[in-house]
Amino acid sequence: MNVSLDKQYLPSERYKRHAAYLSVLALVIIGLCTYFKFEPLLFITDFHYMADLVVEMTPPNFEVLWRKEKIFISILQTLSMAFLGTLVGSTVAMGLAFLAARNTTPHPTVGVIVRTLLAIERVIPSLVILLLFLIAVGLGPFAGMLSLAVGTVGMFGKLFANAIEGAEKEPIDAVYSVGASKLQVIRYAVMPQVLPSFIANLFYAFDINLRAAIGLGVFGGAGVGYEISMAMRLVRYRDALALICFTILLVFVVEKLSDWLRSRALGQDLLK
Amino acid sequence: MIEVRQITKSTKEGVPILKGISFTITKGEFVGILGPSGAGKTLTMRCLNGLTRPTSGEVLFTDHQNNLVNLTHAKGRELRKARRQIGVIFQGFNLVKRLSAIDNVMIGQLGRINLLRSLFYGFTDDEAMRALAVLEHLKIAHLAQRPVGSLSGGEQQRVAIARAIYQQPSVMLADEPIANLDPTNARKIMQILKPLAEQMPIIGVFHQPDLVMEFCTRIIALKDGVVVRDGDNKMTRSELIDLYGAELSEIEASQRILQPV
Repeated sequence: MNVSLDKQYLPSERYKRHAAYLSVLALVIIGLCTYFKFEPLLFITDFHYMADLVVEMTPPNFEVLWRKEKIFISILQTLSMAFLGTLVGSTVAMGLAFLAARNTTPHPTVGVIVRTLLAIERVIPSLVILLLFLIAVGLGPFAGMLSLAVGTVGMFGKLFANAIEGAEKEPIDAVYSVGASKLQVIRYAVMPQVLPSFIANLFYAFDINLRAAIGLGVFGGAGVGYEISMAMRLVRYRDALALICFTILLVFVVEKLSDWLRSRALGQDLLK
Repeated sequence: MIEVRQITKSTKEGVPILKGISFTITKGEFVGILGPSGAGKTLTMRCLNGLTRPTSGEVLFTDHQNNLVNLTHAKGRELRKARRQIGVIFQGFNLVKRLSAIDNVMIGQLGRINLLRSLFYGFTDDEAMRALAVLEHLKIAHLAQRPVGSLSGGEQQRVAIARAIYQQPSVMLADEPIANLDPTNARKIMQILKPLAEQMPIIGVFHQPDLVMEFCTRIIALKDGVVVRDGDNKMTRSELIDLYGAELSEIEASQRILQPV
């Protein structure tokens, strides 16, 4: 037989290669666990602590939801942080996207600069952004809202710019050919093409930001996240569980609501 | 009136595509440009409305008010002003698919209306009624509120023609306006264009010599970037063979198959 496979294509060689990859991965995992003193066994041996916590948390003290007026305000804070953060962030993202997209940028250099800024912004962790805003505007929902807005810009600036670049070129040509200016072309040939995806992403961003707002609240000293962490620290576990249950319900309801609104917004557009 | 003076166009590598094309088109003409693939037909059309700048030569254009505009040098505001006077019908219709037919028609006058109003308010009721009248004229008023993406090819091209008419241009360019349509619709579009040519000259690129001979008033033939024929709307078979070469049999074959019964 004259034909033969290259060595790397032999099944036995492939098997050896996979085995080698897996052993390296296993070594890395064991090494890291040892270094950081992780003990997977603790899950089993110390599980009773978890069980104890669950016992201490039940039954949830739902009274806290209406006994403390502050709770109601904190929920409102979380919702408005997410809502305003999404609105401000996506508006700014939309503006920047038109500057960044190659087919709508006023000048190629502007496009490069904006795209670079967006890329830099995306790699800054949101917690770092929050810490910066905490220093700038102090503890509270405003700092949380601002850092959510910045995060939204990072999340959607590039996405929107890609959507704009993906707009069909033919109608753009046609609108230019009636003597329209660049802004009119954006308004009448580009916007109608990208608006539905903008709107769909807006609801998506709100879902993500609501969850993030709960987490950021723990550090930002605002919203329902902060109330949960305080209840835990003050060993009011039954209050904490009530808040957690309520938060889960809230996130669930808001998500369903935004799903419904999104499909309505998109559906109407298609039927119009 | 539109006058083309010795335009040439080369690729970035310096390969000449258009090698000195001249013609003048005046009121009442319906000019069909014929020629084999790669003759430079579409490129000539793009030079005519300023989407492409010729390497040399000039495209001069006289608008309704007898102002002379040099399209080869026009920039910014002047170019936009000239473009308002030139209606364009595209092969791919080039409509904004998510907008309704009537919105697409109203886009035709974007070049004439106030910038701020167009950006923040949009169109007026009066404009909508005038756009509707154009659609009515083309017998598609019942489709006015439908998103263009849901219309058939023939209907879309009619919306595109309505947009160009609503623009109130002094001259109409049509780049292969019927190439994407079936023979029945292609003929219908030609029937719409013919009377229109009495109001404004129409210059179109076509692939159907038979339809061009039937509807156009003048035929310009391009081959290898030069005008090889410019005259009346009758071309003999031997002229067509000279122009198209081997391509002619393909064109004729597709016409036989697609001929409406």
